[in-house]
Amino acid sequence: MATESTLKNVDSACETAEEFTRLFYKHLDNSRHLTSKLYLDASLLVWNGNGINGNAKIQKFLLDLPPSNHYVKTIDAQPISENLMSNNLSYLIQACGDVTYQNEEVRKPFQQTFVIVAVEGKWKIATDCYRLQVPYST
Amino acid sequence: MPKRGGGRPRNNWKNGAPSCFEHDDRIHHTGRRVMFKQSQNKGKNNKFKNWNDAKILFDDDVDMGASGNAQNRRGAYRGRGGRLGSPPPRPSQHKKKFITGVLPWYQITIPYGAKHEKDVILKVLLSHISPEVFIPHYFKIEGNSAIFYVDDVKVAEKLFHADRKITMPNGFKLVVIVRNAVPRINITDDMKEKMKLAMAKRYNPTTKALDLTKFHADPDLVDVFCALFRPIIMLAAVDIIAENIPDLEALNLNDNKLHGLEHLKILATKFKNLKILYMGDNRIPSVAPLEALKALPLVELYLKGNPLVNRFNDNETYKSEVRRKFPKLTRLDGDELPPPIGFDIPDDVSLPPAQQSFLVDPNGQELIKEFLKQYFAIYDSESRQPLLDAYHESATCSLAASYLNTDSRNSNSTNKLNTYMVNSRNLMRITDRDHRRRYLKTGKLQVVSLLSELPKTTHDLMGFAVDLVIFNPNMVVLTMNGVFREIMTTGTPLRSFHRTFVIVPNNSGGFCILNDMYFVTNATKEQEDKAFSTSTPASVPTPTTTPAAPAIPAVTPAAQPVAGTSQEDTQKMMLNMLSQQTGMNEHWSINCLQETGWDYQRALFIFNQLQSEGKIPQEAFVK
Repeated sequence: MATESTLKNVDSACETAEEFTRLFYKHLDNSRHLTSKLYLDASLLVWNGNGINGNAKIQKFLLDLPPSNHYVKTIDAQPISENLMSNNLSYLIQACGDVTYQNEEVRKPFQQTFVIVAVEGKWKIATDCYRLQVPYST
Repeated sequence: MPKRGGGRPRNNWKNGAPSCFEHDDRIHHTGRRVMFKQSQNKGKNNKFKNWNDAKILFDDDVDMGASGNAQNRRGAYRGRGGRLGSPPPRPSQHKKKFITGVLPWYQITIPYGAKHEKDVILKVLLSHISPEVFIPHYFKIEGNSAIFYVDDVKVAEKLFHADRKITMPNGFKLVVIVRNAVPRINITDDMKEKMKLAMAKRYNPTTKALDLTKFHADPDLVDVFCALFRPIIMLAAVDIIAENIPDLEALNLNDNKLHGLEHLKILATKFKNLKILYMGDNRIPSVAPLEALKALPLVELYLKGNPLVNRFNDNETYKSEVRRKFPKLTRLDGDELPPPIGFDIPDDVSLPPAQQSFLVDPNGQELIKEFLKQYFAIYDSESRQPLLDAYHESATCSLAASYLNTDSRNSNSTNKLNTYMVNSRNLMRITDRDHRRRYLKTGKLQVVSLLSELPKTTHDLMGFAVDLVIFNPNMVVLTMNGVFREIMTTGTPLRSFHRTFVIVPNNSGGFCILNDMYFVTNATKEQEDKAFSTSTPASVPTPTTTPAAPAIPAVTPAAQPVAGTSQEDTQKMMLNMLSQQTGMNEHWSINCLQETGWDYQRALFIFNQLQSEGKIPQEAFVK
């Protein structure tokens, strides 16, 4: 059923995910002011349930967070059907691992899922959903 | 009191682990130059500079050499060049010498003590060592012997010298064996309950202060060994406190014979508000162990009565050394410290508070709620086969799993994630393209067959954190975070997961999953504590749907659970979308959708066309 081109797209999703996560966490931890370049203008960040709309606000939000160190332990990726994202190539990427904030010693587990789209030859984040692994029941 | 390094051998005794003579150890490991005579004995002897050191290796049971047994032992080991364990050669038995042990407790054994009444034994001992007095902790009869513990070195020494000095009414001399040993610990629920009650009366809720001064001597804890210097007991105590007083601000641990502090690192993670800590009259040997407490936001600390204080020649150096560890300290040992000169940069930027859910569009709430409810009713049922209806013909699904950092894979078997690990498509490990393709399940048959392989579960639906990030007529993207229990696995372990669905409308007016990306890991302690705590369905307002029991879909596989999500919902969603996107009121939006047979794209196309031709009347936009 799966054609060669869809399989190639699976390969590409995986390899893009590797490169994307490497870049993303490098910038997030070391040069956060550049992170917003990875987001679309109209992108959406949902950070622990707080929604932040648009590149500029995301930039501000990220800069206000304490310094972080992310240690990614798993990466996964799948292609998303193209006709869903206005015919743009798009991938679903999941990265999970541990994070420390403020150079604290406690590592908190985190999980993050992105939808990235290819726009004018560049990969951009359409949505970014970040969650720390804590109980959420109210 | 000797300064640095003098007197008693320093040691890193902790947790009963004997291999702690790091200094000498290193000499052995580097293996060059430093050679001792007996080195053919695998060098173990080299670790000890003198016999006092060797004694420490007995850990909980350091024999003071009072028992006749020791004589035999000497003979047996002598030929091997002074192995660890043999007592120092002694010229005669009369020159017995009491050696202060490293542990603050001493076990007193009276062989044949069972022949006498407890009171009789204690009376003769007390009168012999008078004016010293002691409390016999945990007195018990074991076989013929009477055994109890004392927590005072002076008393232990006196009792040591009382050996064979007291003649009992039956004519025998009373044998007294003193060992440097702590009572056995076995933390039971009963003991925890007792500790909890003892703590409750020592807690002051107005100041959020807990006073655990000399905790083991609490009258309510006389029959249990509850010495906080034992890490295992301290950690149990910390757990109890964390559970009951998470916002603790002041803790008094004065006079608890505390020595090592390494395990108290956990205080900083458990008690974010702990500002005042009293640890006077303990046995903290130097400033270094305080490192473990560094992350606490302490403003007041009390350390008087610890050996560490005497190691400084002057008070100023002491103060500045402690302050280096705790820069925010304003009081040390009851004295005000001059305010520190700081920097005008806030040093604790806190994280924004977490929200349970985010909805990019509030209109999506009912839809995803219903969808997830139906999906997990089947997922948590006997058979996951009916989920075939929930997936798109060409759906893809992948699973990744990893252990939590606290290396759960090495602990008990309930933590093992084997069933997930074998299917884990972690791209950091699966690097081969063919493998990556194969681990991505494609087509609903493959997807459901993978899901059916996974352990049977019950999800804590009420505890879900759901983030709806995309909600438009073409697609819905939502991410769930939460916990589930593996109900058929031994120990019914709790797992934490993070899962993303890309959902699209299907042909029959419902929805189906096109992408399913799933991550499973161990649950944290905090998740364990809170799991299923709000799972009473009654407490959640569910306006429309009546049956809350997950029993229905499982037994009726013919039913169309997810796919039938109700056309009404889809239409409602389309209507909202169209109205939002075009600005038309509900009436006109409905008309437009009905005209196009509820084909959203077509409706939008028609609208754009008519709008550009100026054919849509103004009234269509009046709301």
